[in-house]
Amino acid sequence: MVDEKSVSASEPLDLIRLCLDEQIFVKLRGNREMTGKLHAYDSHCNIVLGDATETIYYLESGSEDVKSRKEKSELVFVRGDSVMSIADASNIGKTNA
Amino acid sequence: MLFFSFFKTLVDQELKNDVKITGTLRSIDQYLNIKLDNVQTDVAKYPHFVAVRSVFIRGSTIRYIHLNPNSVDTNLLQDASRREAMASSGDKIVGR
Amino acid sequence: MSAVPTSASTSNFLSDITNSSVIVKLNNGFEYHGVLSSIDGFMNIVLENSIEMVGSKEIRKYNELFVRGNNVMYIASQ
Repeated sequence: MVDEKSVSASEPLDLIRLCLDEQIFVKLRGNREMTGKLHAYDSHCNIVLGDATETIYYLESGSEDVKSRKEKSELVFVRGDSVMSIADASNIGKTNA
Repeated sequence: MLFFSFFKTLVDQELKNDVKITGTLRSIDQYLNIKLDNVQTDVAKYPHFVAVRSVFIRGSTIRYIHLNPNSVDTNLLQDASRREAMASSGDKIVGR
Repeated sequence: MSAVPTSASTSNFLSDITNSSVIVKLNNGFEYHGVLSSIDGFMNIVLENSIEMVGSKEIRKYNELFVRGNNVMYIASQ
């Protein structure tokens, strides 16, 4: 018998499987984030996102403020080695800017 | 192997060091090293690419590959991902 | 170094702390405070009800969050 826990999320990558065809939020190396619909993934966290919006955070010289710019892509493959974390985009609460 | 199987048709790609190279995907291997033909880059920004027609790129240096949505069946991709997850699940669970 | 941890005891540790409250610190300084819901041999982690922190500053909350193992510096059980 398998307990209820191991059916729903017995290993971490199962969480990503459950996000297939959903909007996800990915934190990437290099002060980047991306949201988009998850179309594919593998065990390296290589992913394919549809209608993706990338947000790149950067500092301008002489300024303390973090700025950001956005880039869009209709369909993009993201190599797993730049992925840091993945979450369902609908389940994120910002507590602070 | 999912993505290896997937990348057989496609185009348009961006490197980690913010160099963007656009080309036709000619060849790919298991490490996702790629060969591109008909290479185009922003020559004003990267003059060292001016004479480059085709290029081999080590997979580990790639950040993104932008794809043409018309050449990809996303439903097929999702099914393939689920199948691959089934095949490899249970391999690497610790302490269960 | 009298008691060298065996791989069995580290994986026991990991299974012992599933479903308990943990702090996961990443190489880039981000910290996640949450409940460990699963973990695998690559140190890929799923946290429930986690808070993302940089230093003492709270950034975001996640109901469920997957963290890729290669970025993990440590997992501390609270």
